Amino acid sequence: LRAARFDTGVLTRHLGGLGISALCTAIAFPLYPHFDPVNIVMVYLLGATVAGLRLGRGPAALTAIANTAAFDFFFVPPRYSLFVANTQYLFTLGVMLGVAFVIANLMVNVRRQTEAAAERERRTALLYALSRELAAAADAVTIADVAVRHVASSLGEPGAVLLPNEEGKLCVHVPGSSDSDNSLVDLSAACRVYDHNQDGVEEITGQEPGKPLYLRLACGEHALGVLVVQSRNGGHLLPEQRALLDALTGLVALALERAHLAELAAAARASAERAALRNTLLASISHDLRGPLSAIAGAGSLVAQSSGSLDRHRRKTLGNLIEEKARDMSELLTNVLDLIRLETGKSALRADWQSVEDLAGIAVRNVEHRFGGRRIITDIPTEFPPVFVDGQLAVQLLTNLLENATKHTPTGTSIAIRAAVRDSRAVLRIEDDGPGFGARDPEDLFEKFERGQKESHVSGVGLGLAICRAIVHLHGGEIRASNRDTGGARFEFTLPLESLEIEAVEAVS
Amino acid sequence: MTRAMHRVLVIEDDPAIRKVLSMLFETNGFRVVTADTCELGVRQAQTYRPDVCIVDLGLPDGDGIHFIRKVRGWSPVAILVLTARVAELQRLAAFEAGADDYVIKPFSSPELLARVRAIMRRIARSDQPAAVVRLGTAFIDLVNRVTRGPNGEEVHLTPLEHRILECLARHADSVVTHTQVLKEVWGPHQIDIRALRVYVASLRRKLELDPARPRYIVTEPGVGYRLVTDAEVESAERPARTRP
Repeated sequence: LRAARFDTGVLTRHLGGLGISALCTAIAFPLYPHFDPVNIVMVYLLGATVAGLRLGRGPAALTAIANTAAFDFFFVPPRYSLFVANTQYLFTLGVMLGVAFVIANLMVNVRRQTEAAAERERRTALLYALSRELAAAADAVTIADVAVRHVASSLGEPGAVLLPNEEGKLCVHVPGSSDSDNSLVDLSAACRVYDHNQDGVEEITGQEPGKPLYLRLACGEHALGVLVVQSRNGGHLLPEQRALLDALTGLVALALERAHLAELAAAARASAERAALRNTLLASISHDLRGPLSAIAGAGSLVAQSSGSLDRHRRKTLGNLIEEKARDMSELLTNVLDLIRLETGKSALRADWQSVEDLAGIAVRNVEHRFGGRRIITDIPTEFPPVFVDGQLAVQLLTNLLENATKHTPTGTSIAIRAAVRDSRAVLRIEDDGPGFGARDPEDLFEKFERGQKESHVSGVGLGLAICRAIVHLHGGEIRASNRDTGGARFEFTLPLESLEIEAVEAVS
Repeated sequence: MTRAMHRVLVIEDDPAIRKVLSMLFETNGFRVVTADTCELGVRQAQTYRPDVCIVDLGLPDGDGIHFIRKVRGWSPVAILVLTARVAELQRLAAFEAGADDYVIKPFSSPELLARVRAIMRRIARSDQPAAVVRLGTAFIDLVNRVTRGPNGEEVHLTPLEHRILECLARHADSVVTHTQVLKEVWGPHQIDIRALRVYVASLRRKLELDPARPRYIVTEPGVGYRLVTDAEVESAERPARTRP
């Protein structure tokens, strides 16, 4: 079928060449009475030029011959005969034929060059557009999407990109297509291309008709993925297409390498941060655990060794001391583990609808043994909408803030929990009327190991507020500390909120 | 004392905690059997028929829940689990497997003892479910549907509030999971947990002296609710903390 179409194309173009020749003759006829035959030759040369420009080498040659023959037949005396009476016309005919050939040839070359230039321009534009999009793509999957889209738009063929996953196994990325397209990708062939170095590729990519083309995306020896191009028609790619594809592959490989390096750099940065955090934690923990540990050891040995010499009251005091110190240590440990969990982002947020009143109630219950003579005021509107939070973390957030307030205020003061809705978010405040933060920047308090008073009698390592900040940020909120106008400290944070649709529920029940 | 001693089975892999628990229960008039693995625990439970099992969920192979499932297959014995504070999901799984109550590690001995005693009392009276629930000064007659608030005034409970209270009272002093409440009150029509929270908040406003700090209708974070009918539990739950 393809061969037949090819023939008709050639035939049409040759017929076109004869047509041009006929047209020239038709134009020349009315000119003949007024022009010298030599000038009529110009009409034919014009025709030969057009044929060269439009139809290619073969038809142009045919036109040149037909033109010469037509000029001889119609205009060279004796007219309407191929016979040439005057020998100088033989020279004219010879030059005419030669010039027509040369012009046709020149025109064909001009046309080729124009086409090549246009093709080059198109390719440059495509590659430019590709590189611009690749520069904007941040991760490997986006790069794969861009690559596949460009293969489709520039070659008109569907493609796919295979990228290694965490375990180094190749996975297919075909954006916006169904699974049936994925089945066209032969994973084992892709793996062979991926695992072998460049030498091994040629034999595998040596394209058989109808088989997809596998191209290794690599920078030097380092393979980053495989680009698969499906040849829908089962035909070979044209050399220009292949060149374009190679350029495209190079660009995509570079982009993947860049993304890969960026990932490595981010991982290195995160690991350095973790190491720094770990070191600070270790230093701080060992310091803060040693205190309670020596108290426990001392109290324990005292109870064990002094048989009968301790009265009931003293034994009770020592027992309480052991319990309290052990609890402090447990709390510290929990805080440290929580912070590591929150900061490394390993814990998934188990968000659910929670009532603020309920959360505050649990938090108050958690710390009420520490309130002493302090008064707690809960000021939450009755119909306050539920918040969408991780209950456990939210309780811890409130507990830490309340604990913080009790630690830093004298007895007899009051601590208030207030809630309001602002910009469709819940705004919660923990306010006290203690001494406040003084002149220092209260925002510093959210840093790890930052304590209100250095080396004070107040227990804790300064992780409580850092944990609060981490929890609020996990919920996409903000936390701020400030001095109240009336004196005292205020912590304010936001939590996600959605209005309650109780009507629908009532309808069901 | 003529009444038979209650039997406690302690399943805990840490020998120190096992020793402390043994001492705690022995000095408080219990007979104690211990086990350090799930398998041994199941065998002990079959042999000694304990009244209460104390199970540590934090075993490395996580077979605390395995134990609960196995024992629940044939015994209504009371099961109290010891869990870490952060292990919320594990706690929920324990309740779904059939645990009755939990205590968070590190626990205080009086709290644990109070919880165990509350479970025993509940088992003792489980034959006749309470018709009258007293929450401090508040009073609910479940049969005649008469409710008095904490200040002695008569309050009106909506039918749903009444059913939620009934459900909590059926399991008074023990934990009722959210799923359980939803199932027992709403049946197969599963509704939003948000609605349950709203009804509970409303119940608290009607029955609690200080709704912001509920004493009787208590939220168990991440698990469900507990109706505290026993003032002793609540006061013993908070260990005395003397600060120097």
